[in-house]
Amino acid sequence: MSPRIRVALLALSGLILLPCAAQVIAGLPAFGSTIAQYGERINAITPEARHVANMVSAINFDLRGLDTLGEEFMLLAAITGTVVLLRGRRGEGNSERAMRRPGRAVIPRSEATVLACRIAGPLTGLFGLYVVLHATVTPGGGFQGGVILASGTLLIYLGEGYAGWRDAIRSHWLDALEGGGALLFALCGLAPMLVGAAFMQNILPLGTFRDLFSGGLMPVENLGVALAVAGGFTQLFLEFMEETREAEEPDEPGEETA
Amino acid sequence: MSVLPYAVAAWLFGVGLYGIATSRNFIHLVGCLGVCQSATYVLLLGLGYRWGSIAPIFYDHPPGTPAVDPVMQALVLTDIVVGATLTALLLVLTVQAYKRGGSLDPEKLRPMRAGGKSGQRQDAGHTSGRVSEGGRKAS
Amino acid sequence: MTVILPLLFLLTAVSGTAVVLVRDPTRQIFAIAINGLVLTILFDALQAPDVALSELAVGSAAVPLLFLVALMAVRTQAPGEES
Repeated sequence: MSPRIRVALLALSGLILLPCAAQVIAGLPAFGSTIAQYGERINAITPEARHVANMVSAINFDLRGLDTLGEEFMLLAAITGTVVLLRGRRGEGNSERAMRRPGRAVIPRSEATVLACRIAGPLTGLFGLYVVLHATVTPGGGFQGGVILASGTLLIYLGEGYAGWRDAIRSHWLDALEGGGALLFALCGLAPMLVGAAFMQNILPLGTFRDLFSGGLMPVENLGVALAVAGGFTQLFLEFMEETREAEEPDEPGEETA
Repeated sequence: MSVLPYAVAAWLFGVGLYGIATSRNFIHLVGCLGVCQSATYVLLLGLGYRWGSIAPIFYDHPPGTPAVDPVMQALVLTDIVVGATLTALLLVLTVQAYKRGGSLDPEKLRPMRAGGKSGQRQDAGHTSGRVSEGGRKAS
Repeated sequence: MTVILPLLFLLTAVSGTAVVLVRDPTRQIFAIAINGLVLTILFDALQAPDVALSELAVGSAAVPLLFLVALMAVRTQAPGEES
């Protein structure tokens, strides 16, 4: 299909869909006038029923915990797919040493960069932990904190170079972290069934409102999500970086098939 | 003002689609897909907003203060993180397509054949599905 | 707030359009990062601090980085030599 026909088709479908979209937009409630009843009820009931201050975490880890479990495994599947695609060519046995591409210039790091990264790195890690731990009280949670933790490790890359970063994070712990987080979440769902409760029912003591460990099962599930997201994103960064680092070596013909 | 957020969401989705249709580079295309995705964030959060409400976090404010819709926020929150991993998956597919086809241009992408070049093909047992096409090319 | 929110919505539309219209992938990465930042501010103004935090970490740090590395991976592979 030539580009011109494609754009013409897109314009045509846009012309047809535009009135429909306008119709839908006109039917929506005016912006800022009202919110859905479900959210309204959650805001009214949950602080008392679950002793947590952050409604978003309460929905993610308790009220709609099953959905988050699904999301969690989507995350796992996407990361597994990425790793399989990247490692499929390199093979499972990654070399022990960080490789360099021959012929690439080595740019020396300035002392200021190293110092700034050494100061900012631990602080970023601390901030990530803070965001993870305060899921039920203030804005934050496993999803956000996990990404912050994973991005924080990149400061090691900036400060200490690729080999240092790779040594610091590359281990089987990383694989275990990602899968273990998802496992922890799934176990949080199954554990209540052992005592006769429903799947993912919040059976732990709920704690006091506005306390760090309020919410019963929620901090545990939150920890599972944080582990999975932090491990998963670090894994992604590592595997992506490895892709640019490969030493030149002849490919065996026919090795990479679809 | 009352329809502006929805119009912005529709615009973002449309412009993202336009970018996808006209893109000449797979990496650019994945970026356009991200714009489409951000349209859903804007739409959902726009639906969940209410003037004069606080964020749905009752730490500084006592419970019962009018707050915006937390359900939409929970939806968008997980969407963003999972979407990022999907972006990574698409980028990896892009890199793989480049390795096989030698181009990032969707126009120049040839249909994938089993085993790449003829003569370098693996035996047909490992490559089901596309075997007939690959065999035709090889012969 | 009544003025800031519409402005932020318009800014989001503009930055999203910029991501599409910047055709050079290297420059597009900057557009993506800026788009992430604009979305972060918009989400914060929409009283969604959780989402803003998530978008800040993902949209303006993690995703641009993945794009950057993918671009690097494409550049280091000599085109066509393995096909």
